[in-house]
Amino acid sequence: MMDASERLRRPAWLRAWGVALVPLFLAAAYLGLVWSPQDVNQGNLIRIMYAHVSVAWIGFVAVGLTALFGALFLWRGKRRDDVLAVASGEMALLFSALTIIGGMTYSRPTLNTFWTWDAKLTLTALMVALLVGYFIVRALIDDPVRRGRVSAVVAIIVAASLPFNYLAAEWFRTLHPSRAIALDGSGVTMAPEMLFTLLFNTVVAGLVYAWFMVDRARLGRIEAQLEAERAERELGSVPSGGVVRV
Amino acid sequence: MNDLLAVLWVARKDLLHETRSKATTVATLFFSAVTLVVLAFAIGQDESLLRGAATGALWVALAFAGVISAAQSYQADLEDGAFDHLLTTPVPRAAVYVGKLLANWLFMLLLGLLMLPVTFVLYGAAWPTAWPWLLATLALGTLGFALIAVFYAGLTANLRARESLLPVLMFPIVVPILLASVRASGALVGSDDLALAQGWLRLLVGFDLVYAVLCTAIYHFVVEE
Repeated sequence: MMDASERLRRPAWLRAWGVALVPLFLAAAYLGLVWSPQDVNQGNLIRIMYAHVSVAWIGFVAVGLTALFGALFLWRGKRRDDVLAVASGEMALLFSALTIIGGMTYSRPTLNTFWTWDAKLTLTALMVALLVGYFIVRALIDDPVRRGRVSAVVAIIVAASLPFNYLAAEWFRTLHPSRAIALDGSGVTMAPEMLFTLLFNTVVAGLVYAWFMVDRARLGRIEAQLEAERAERELGSVPSGGVVRV
Repeated sequence: MNDLLAVLWVARKDLLHETRSKATTVATLFFSAVTLVVLAFAIGQDESLLRGAATGALWVALAFAGVISAAQSYQADLEDGAFDHLLTTPVPRAAVYVGKLLANWLFMLLLGLLMLPVTFVLYGAAWPTAWPWLLATLALGTLGFALIAVFYAGLTANLRARESLLPVLMFPIVVPILLASVRASGALVGSDDLALAQGWLRLLVGFDLVYAVLCTAIYHFVVEE
């Protein structure tokens, strides 16, 4: 039996990773805000794009990983996969919320409106709604195994819906041509400095996502252990094999 | 072969229950008619606006009614623990899903066929020349909707607050279905633009295929116990 504070302590490598994120983040901000050149059309506003697009990309990756860990849980039934799915899902929700905020910040000065029915923005809004649904379902089921299975199913359905939602939103928009331009630079040739800045920002955003996810999964494992120990205590006798081992 | 029979028996059971109790029929029929009227009030008296909104209103009415019908189809089963008995029968859980899907789809299709003339009269829209394509849109759209509705209704049947939870969970998923159905039927009714409608129908077919496979494959994780 481990001591409680011992259990809660972040391992050294995770702490080192977290500390390393600070200079990386500052470097990404410097590249985006100072080093990269101004855009021909958008001037300094292009600098919003680095933070916005990198966060959006990682948000989509996070949703995909949530579904992937969910599928692994359905396949192998290991509690660890469910814990990872939740950790990734929470980060996906955070990153898509940040994407919407970033998108609105970006489109107010460039397109003169907070909200356009741009396909990507619409898709992100739907993604937030879908992820909130995922967490509502989780909150309503007490049995950990059933909770893991049902929420894994929801995550898979959600991830499968994203391409359809994107297609529908994209076609919907082309019927109503708006003033939206390709915001992520698709079809627009980017200066190499810009591309490098965007990729650097994306990598840093990915590392931030991964750090929070790993740390959240660490807490999730402790939670799961606690839940299992409580269940054992309520049952009275402690089965030697342990009901849920993580 | 046996599984196919099981599918048909589950569908038959649901439809038989409905023809005898008529609870869902009465509720959804009047509910969708009332929705059409209320939406017409909301849009106002401008005739061209009304005509343009006809297909959108029809699909909104069908979507709301579809949620009720899917939730009801489990509600009737859950009373007296009949659903547990259904699950103990030695057939794959997927057969239960497909059977319920079949019953709900037929129900929604019938409801759509009944609401179609009502919409055309209330909203003053013209019957399109390519009307078989309108029926195809109705069939594919209600199928996609029923796929998701029956799946999520099974998922929420045992949860607290299921009435409010079901639409919250499923509407973001069926957005492409609603968009494609509204756009396809709008293209047919408004402008007789067959090519545009067929583009949207392709999206419907793709959605239906993907979710038919996916939902059938993972349904048994949803209804255990």
